Amino acid sequence: MAAGGTPKKAGSAIPPKKIMVFGILGSLIGIYAGHFLTIMFGPVFSFLGVLGAICAIVWGADTVRRVCSYGIGTGVPSIGMLAIGMGIVAALFGLEIGGIAGPVVALVIATIIGLIIGLLGNRIMKMGVPIMETATAEIAAAGTLTIVGVSTSMAGSFEIYNIVSHVVANGFIALVFIIGAIAILHPFNSNLGPDEKQDRTLAVAFVDGSIVMIVTGIVVAGVSIASAVPTLVIGLLIWIIAFTKYYSLVKRDAYKVVGTGLLPTEEELS
Amino acid sequence: MEPLIGMGVLALMGAAAAIAGMSEDLESDVGSQSNPNSQVQLAPQMMYPHRIFNKAISGEPPSNALMCAIGGTTAAILMDSMGMSVLFSVAIGALVAALAHGSYSTMSFFGRPASQKRFKQPIYLDVLRSHIVAIMAFAFVTTFSIVIISYLMITALGHPFPLALLAFIWGIAVGAIGSSTGDVHYGAERQFQNTEFGAGLNAAQSGNIVRKGEAGLRNGIDNLWFCSRFGGPATGIAFAMTVFLSGWITLVFDPSISLTIGWLSVIAGLIIVLILIIFNRKLEVSARNTYGPYKSDKEEVAA
Amino acid sequence: MIDFAAIIAENILYLLLIIVGGLLVAIGVHFVPVGGAPAAMAQSTGVGTGTVQLAAGAGLTGLVAAGAVMQVTDNLLLVIASGMVGAMIMISSTMLLGNMIYIYGVGVPPASAKIKYDPITRDRQDLYISQGTEGHGVPTSCFISGVIGGGLGGLGGAMVYFALLSVTNGTSALNVIGLASIFSVAIFFINAVIASYNIGGTTEGFHDPKFKRLPKAVVSSIIVTFISGILSLITIGGL
Repeated sequence: MAAGGTPKKAGSAIPPKKIMVFGILGSLIGIYAGHFLTIMFGPVFSFLGVLGAICAIVWGADTVRRVCSYGIGTGVPSIGMLAIGMGIVAALFGLEIGGIAGPVVALVIATIIGLIIGLLGNRIMKMGVPIMETATAEIAAAGTLTIVGVSTSMAGSFEIYNIVSHVVANGFIALVFIIGAIAILHPFNSNLGPDEKQDRTLAVAFVDGSIVMIVTGIVVAGVSIASAVPTLVIGLLIWIIAFTKYYSLVKRDAYKVVGTGLLPTEEELS
Repeated sequence: MEPLIGMGVLALMGAAAAIAGMSEDLESDVGSQSNPNSQVQLAPQMMYPHRIFNKAISGEPPSNALMCAIGGTTAAILMDSMGMSVLFSVAIGALVAALAHGSYSTMSFFGRPASQKRFKQPIYLDVLRSHIVAIMAFAFVTTFSIVIISYLMITALGHPFPLALLAFIWGIAVGAIGSSTGDVHYGAERQFQNTEFGAGLNAAQSGNIVRKGEAGLRNGIDNLWFCSRFGGPATGIAFAMTVFLSGWITLVFDPSISLTIGWLSVIAGLIIVLILIIFNRKLEVSARNTYGPYKSDKEEVAA
Repeated sequence: MIDFAAIIAENILYLLLIIVGGLLVAIGVHFVPVGGAPAAMAQSTGVGTGTVQLAAGAGLTGLVAAGAVMQVTDNLLLVIASGMVGAMIMISSTMLLGNMIYIYGVGVPPASAKIKYDPITRDRQDLYISQGTEGHGVPTSCFISGVIGGGLGGLGGAMVYFALLSVTNGTSALNVIGLASIFSVAIFFINAVIASYNIGGTTEGFHDPKFKRLPKAVVSSIIVTFISGILSLITIGGL
């Protein structure tokens, strides 16, 4: 974990603003569509919530990528745990007081908490990471939207009593907590290195998002098979597509991909 | 509850914890995870390409917590909503967790070396094929044992936390213990068997990991063989001690009987901690006397 | 609509407990002797893992113990003492077995590089450091510092859990246990990560020069725990 490479600004082919818009709009549309369509047409549409969560995961992973390439003094995982810790508090609070505007309220609150933590990090603890404030705000927001999205799918709506009895009381929230955190921190952590590329990292974010979706499918199977089948099928499809894409990007970026073989020779290395 | 039955349950939990701790550590050794992996990551940069699995999912606590939370949640659903038997539910839960863990591991195996193109680290597909099975098998054993511990705590000892949350917390704990104890055996000894035993690891040696095995080139399965001699069992003992001793004090001195007995359990716990501190001190003194100082006092003054 | 002021006024004592609990977690992390990646290679003193990870492992073990005791009593002191002892047992077993691996598996005696004499045992440290390293293993003062740190973490986590579970609410006990436990985990992680940023990921314990940075973490932790405490309190109180 210490081998974070030299601190530098990460090069991005897709600009951060674009991914941010994708993350916020995509997840909010997914969450609201999942909520209303499930109420109107039944549980078949509950997968939309976790589809929205995937957008938030991709956004979060991209932000982790930008902030962690500066070297934040401790491992990549801790910022994911921080994001999702803030996310849990903001998400449940927002859903409770916000009513129908719950996801938006949660998003706003998470952004504020994230900003405050970023300010504390840079101003009081003197971490000196240039984009710390905006990055913690973005990661907290992405973590919150991930939690809200996954919980909406699991409970069938984002109404707080539903979420508390279907996701929190039975402890599944712990799963949402850790699977969201890993999905946000794992893409960059597993691609860490001097030749890291944005598209490859984001492909992993989609793979991780699809695992979130598959596991959500298993969870909702306990409530209704009608909502489990589309969630599982779409999750598996995304996994296959994203993994194929990722493998082709690995073959593009790696020094070489071989079936087996000896180590590179001295001449090859020099 | 009948105290003897409680003791039996606790003994079973301790046994499961020993297995969980050992398999957790071996899982992180065969795939190379957490802190020792920084050397596997650094080696190609120092012109030492290797054939070792690079499993950088996250620190061990989060990745184990994830496995155990997936296993616990799946088991809870199969038990409560579908009425399946406990053993089947836990086994299927652990299987799902192992599959998810395999996916995360594969991503890291491809990703880290691909980001090291300039150091010419190839990606060997046979390493993936041979190691991923072992990784998933150990992940299965860890998840199975942890979910069993959590289930016993809830049904037999009446713990109020739901299964998924308890499995998550024990996952964090087993990961923290594994990365603090067993990993050192892999990171400080197995990776650097080319340096003299007991000489310490000069920082100049960083990245110079052993890359040749007993036969052929060394891989994670060779490391697994070595670490199963000491690092793995030590992790198992540490986790079993944690689960057993922290449960034992409230079982013998049950706080539900009276407040005084509750306080006795706290005192018993503090005495155990004191014994561990004294044990550690004895260990320290014996190590210092056996090995002796690295340099004499005079050299220090001259330097 | 939820009446924020009424909920806070009614539970002001519990809010204070949450803040103190979060603060104890942040302080506890400063005591835990963690050397990060170099320690896993026996190149620096302390346990070979990350601060957040070890503190979380210990603190959450304490939370499990506190949860069990909370089931049968509502005595605050007994609950948090049980949390503390649970965490202390976890961290001392870990450090003891970790030391065994340093001594028997790697062949190096425990030694600290930041101090010449161990402040508790008065043992000479610098002579026992192998060449080219920053110390290795967990010497006695680091061990005791770790026990204190783990204990504070368990104490803090249990305190947050106790406070959240005691908030007046209109919902079932099962729901409150779920909410209180996950909020405790979240508040624990937030404080542990903030404290970890403050010390840059590694420390040797109370004798480490980095320990002097503690006030900064205290300020940050109070602010952050105050915000997350209020939000969690209203979430539970408003149900």
